[in-house]
Amino acid sequence: MARSTKHKSRGMHSAHHVGPNMTPMVDVVMVILIFFMLGSSFVSPDWYLTNNTPAIKGGLSNVKTNAMPPTRINIKLRVRGTRTIAILPGLQTADLSGELATFLTNKHKALSKGVPVQVFISPSNGVPYKDVITAYSDCIQARFKQVAFRPPPAQ
Amino acid sequence: MKIRGIKPMQDTHVNVTPLIDIIMCLIIFFLLVGHIAKAASVKGIKIPTAKNGKDLRDKSNQLIINLVPPTGGYSNDTAPAILIWNNRIPESQLAAYLRKQKGDNPKIKVVLRADRSIPYRFVAPVLISCAQAGIASIHFMTRRPG
Repeated sequence: MARSTKHKSRGMHSAHHVGPNMTPMVDVVMVILIFFMLGSSFVSPDWYLTNNTPAIKGGLSNVKTNAMPPTRINIKLRVRGTRTIAILPGLQTADLSGELATFLTNKHKALSKGVPVQVFISPSNGVPYKDVITAYSDCIQARFKQVAFRPPPAQ
Repeated sequence: MKIRGIKPMQDTHVNVTPLIDIIMCLIIFFLLVGHIAKAASVKGIKIPTAKNGKDLRDKSNQLIINLVPPTGGYSNDTAPAILIWNNRIPESQLAAYLRKQKGDNPKIKVVLRADRSIPYRFVAPVLISCAQAGIASIHFMTRRPG
């Protein structure tokens, strides 16, 4: 026994790890990292409807409607009970995402190409925002490029 | 005597210090991003769905306007709160606020986060304020259906 000790001290020096044991910390940190990465991937990505509204310098009194294309479509949105009705010339429907979208698509096809069309969405005061968005989404689906929102009628 | 010629043992552990540095940086990054996203977006807003939205690749120069519904229902006295960076902006001062933001950053883009149930009479003033401030680009935040 004494001989063995003597040899060890003379010929080899066992390595001693003097720092803290990092393995548990790495484990915990990796778990936190995976949690954040998964958490960020579960959040559904944003989805936007983009609109370029006409900028008005000096207020609404300076709006020149003559500058807009002469071909115009006015989509009135009105509340009937708990539902929202879209009213256009030749159409009155509560099916905003179906019938209105089809009507607008056919309307766009019927118009000759290259003719700019100004679409107005004119909701009344009580129309929920989600129905306004649905009507606007229909306009995008029908490939209308110039869509504007009209202020609600004064009460 | 056999072990006399053995070389001294070396530490064979992998040096994990750079790994920890990188991982800690990533965690701090995720924490900051989450914090910023939380500050810009307000809870309690049910975003409407839309079939024909698109992703925004360029998310720079965004100004998020949150329209938070009141807890007790809508009336003329309880209009939705207009929150920008968690600061409540009165409707009467919104156009001036946006005009100042537009002056500071001419490339500013407004993102409207409004609750799906808000009546249009409370949304229209925000759109009008944007137009009065000369902000032409408005993005309506929606969710994919389903």
